[in-house]
Amino acid sequence: MPVLFKKNAGDRIFSLVTAVSSLSVLALIAGILWVLLAESSPAIEKFGFFRFITSTDWNPVTESFGAATNLFGTAVTTVLSLLIAVPVAIGIAIFITEVAPHYLKGPIGVAIELLAAIPSIIYGMWGLFTLVPIMSHYVEPALQNTIGKLPFIGILFKGTPMGIDLLTASVILSIMIIPFTASIARDAFNLTPAVMKESAYALGATKWEAIKNIVFSYSKLGVFGGIVLSLGRALGETMAIAFVLGNNHRITSSLLDAAATITVTLANEFTEADTDIYLSSLFYLALILFVLSFITLAIAKLFLLKAERRYSR
Amino acid sequence: MNRENVRKLNSRIALSLSTIAALSGLFWLIFILGDVLVKGISALGPALFTNDPVPPGMEGGGLKNAFVGQLMITFFATLIGVPVGILGGTFLAEYARGRKISKIISIFSDIMVSIPSIVIGTFIYAIIVKPAGHFSGWAGAMALAIIMIPVVLRTTENMLSLVPWTLREAAFALGAPYYKVIIQVVYRGAAAGILTGILLSIARVAGETAPLLFTSFNNSYFSTNMNEPIASLTVTIFQYAMGPYDDWHKQAWAASLMITIFILMLTILGRLAIRWRYGKR
Repeated sequence: MPVLFKKNAGDRIFSLVTAVSSLSVLALIAGILWVLLAESSPAIEKFGFFRFITSTDWNPVTESFGAATNLFGTAVTTVLSLLIAVPVAIGIAIFITEVAPHYLKGPIGVAIELLAAIPSIIYGMWGLFTLVPIMSHYVEPALQNTIGKLPFIGILFKGTPMGIDLLTASVILSIMIIPFTASIARDAFNLTPAVMKESAYALGATKWEAIKNIVFSYSKLGVFGGIVLSLGRALGETMAIAFVLGNNHRITSSLLDAAATITVTLANEFTEADTDIYLSSLFYLALILFVLSFITLAIAKLFLLKAERRYSR
Repeated sequence: MNRENVRKLNSRIALSLSTIAALSGLFWLIFILGDVLVKGISALGPALFTNDPVPPGMEGGGLKNAFVGQLMITFFATLIGVPVGILGGTFLAEYARGRKISKIISIFSDIMVSIPSIVIGTFIYAIIVKPAGHFSGWAGAMALAIIMIPVVLRTTENMLSLVPWTLREAAFALGAPYYKVIIQVVYRGAAAGILTGILLSIARVAGETAPLLFTSFNNSYFSTNMNEPIASLTVTIFQYAMGPYDDWHKQAWAASLMITIFILMLTILGRLAIRWRYGKR
């Protein structure tokens, strides 16, 4: 590769400018970490780490703060939305790569990409005014009358169906992450060599058997990376669920109760924090969110890189 | 039923399920877009663009302040974010091509693209809003610029890598220094791709709300002063939708419609540009 640029003054300047620009990404990540650490240090000193993440207190009056309720909301909405989104997304990817006639592949792919382009505030708005009434009038009563009657599971559907709850938030979140997962799964499926599938057909495999045994085993790294990436997205999603979660700092056993996630708490309370320790606790939440999503996204990237290295040759 | 028929049936069921999944994706898209379109159009009118907000209950209010504020924030974010992104991508694809540092920065940029935008809002609050003592349009623009940088950087890197190396060699052979080769040959070859990256990055930040909540905040009066809190469509939608007034809800729908149209047009334009330049992909 070229070492020519060292000889020329113009190149020395231009390479320096471009290098500084690209290093800004690393500087920003380090800067965010450092600033969040510094801002949350009063809260870290006062509450510690384990006490903070296990305490369910969130009381601005007594100035006692804990992250447990927020972590609970984030965990429930993220897991539930993935449970809904992943099967659908994989179904979509199968449809696009294996089932759809050629003339449908493009349009459906574009439609899924448009779904990904809709900003999250629109999802939130639509969720509040359109999905919440549907959930509270039809879906949630129906759930209560069917699986809500079962022992053990029934506890998840107790309470008055208001629509402003964990379930509605998870549904909106799942609609948002379906396109991410689907497009990565599609790319992963597409890497399967045609010869492998053809060999399966030659042995008499049905289409589903070829997908299940050949395509899935070829693409599992990539698909898994896509799922973890969607998890990272779901963790940090704010506006889509800020409208419909109710910002209620409680750990509830029912999915039909209002709750709070880290992001929703930040969005609702950041500008209202009137004491230093309150603001510092919010920064602490932001720090936890940053570290959590950074680790998740790094794991996702690792899997995707591994998949790329293994199959793209 | 014999074994073969069971296997065929299984296959048919699985493939039907995948078709249903695809239809459900289409269903949500049509449901959401249709809803925004129907509810948004009924609230559209010239007053929305030419008037500033009036107190709830009065007739004839608009969102001129939010439209102008949104444009200004996005414009300045683009002005800061795009050059840094393009130059950074240039370093990765040209001067550091094939080196370890290039790979590392690429990976960190990919992670940075998906970092929760609200965290970036808190970061800007700490480094700009808090020291200055007040919310400002600049803080909002900076927050959006930070979100844009990794997006532009990665597309630029990819697009520059697509320019054939022989093209650069031809220019080297004429005695051109590397920086001239990059600016006059490589950038030209990758122009459509870089433009797509810019369009998509604008589409990405134009709908962002979370990073603006505590940076540019909101302003119910018309203002073009980037040193003060400034209204944006997205934050206004949040405030209006959560508010109790019917008028507010209507205007929030109209604003949602305008933002959605703007972003979908940018997205489609970006895809078209790349298809036109590089063929089907």
